[in-house]
Amino acid sequence: MNLEEATRGKIDELIQGSPVMLFMKGTREAPQCGFSAKVVSILDDYLADYRTVDVLSDGEIREGIKTYSSWPTIPQLYVKGEFLGGCDIITEMAGSGELFEALGVDPPEAIVPEIRVKDDAAEALRQAAAQNAEPGQFLHLEVSRNWQTSLSMAPQNSMDIPVEANGVTLMVNRLSAARANGISITLAETANGKGFKVDNPNAPTLSEMSVQELKSLLDSEENFEFIDVRTPSEFETARIPSAVLLDEAAHQRLSELPKETKIVFVCHHGPRGVNAAEQFLSQGFTNVHNVTGGLDAWSTEIDSSVPRY
Amino acid sequence: MPIDIQQQDGPSAIAEALRKAILEAIPEARVDVSPGGTAHFEIRVEARVFDGMGRVAQQQLVYGAIAPMMSGSNPPVHAIDRLECVVG
Repeated sequence: MNLEEATRGKIDELIQGSPVMLFMKGTREAPQCGFSAKVVSILDDYLADYRTVDVLSDGEIREGIKTYSSWPTIPQLYVKGEFLGGCDIITEMAGSGELFEALGVDPPEAIVPEIRVKDDAAEALRQAAAQNAEPGQFLHLEVSRNWQTSLSMAPQNSMDIPVEANGVTLMVNRLSAARANGISITLAETANGKGFKVDNPNAPTLSEMSVQELKSLLDSEENFEFIDVRTPSEFETARIPSAVLLDEAAHQRLSELPKETKIVFVCHHGPRGVNAAEQFLSQGFTNVHNVTGGLDAWSTEIDSSVPRY
Repeated sequence: MPIDIQQQDGPSAIAEALRKAILEAIPEARVDVSPGGTAHFEIRVEARVFDGMGRVAQQQLVYGAIAPMMSGSNPPVHAIDRLECVVG
């Protein structure tokens, strides 16, 4: 099959435009297919920064890339202008450790993480492992770049580090090892009965900021994102002048910022700011703050010209 | 190569068409095609020609042979769930 010159040129440009380029269905934030989602979750673990093209929004690229790569399926990953593979190959390379070199990422030190498992959680893990026991399957623990912990049964990979914890063997991959160091796993009541609860001392936490601290931050030269999470009508009623309302567009813009960007959230009294901050922490942002007491504290303690409501 | 296979054809007919298309490109290959879900297939190809080739190049050779059955709107083959290439 022949590829139109124009389409070929367009794809060339995309591939040359970024050292790591993923052709996928949907976006990095919202993949529209399981295979694309899988590759995004792998890449997210290795790289903070890479580019994606949504083939669903461009029929020309969608068909063209298949011919271009002689590869009939999406996703397709290009690294430094070369086709690396689709979902299967990328998954395999992640498991074998080849992906570090292919992406030019230094493998993290192979530390053996210390993991504490409470007795009841250990018993539940043993049962879960026994129920799903198939030859060659091991209990895996993974802590993603966004600090989400997951447990699964999977074959052992050469990059896995076996960890003994309270009589349970957990396989931890190399990327998770440092992030999993020091975690403790307990059983806790959840809405759906008992579930595992993971306490991770490495995960970044929300930090509270007083209105005085906010004042000196605003007076300083420091760059940061100042985000108001109240409703548009509250925003109309009263606001701190440099704050930006968290609407759809602001959300989109923030999601594309480097994860270490300093973000300060403000609401009316504090709780909504905490919710927003926690949501951004779970997306991998690490420098997240909430203004204690919110706009009301600002009005009473710093600037009485901002009306209280 | 004319593609006269339609999605309406049964999975075993499509599987046979896939097998023939691969054999046309790699005559010496041993090819197994098994139907999975609707318009999904698993393929195993064993061939001497794979010797010395990378994974991507091996799979590109097979995919190149069956690409016409996977392109266009509503093609007979939607996805290859698994493609295993073995040096035979």
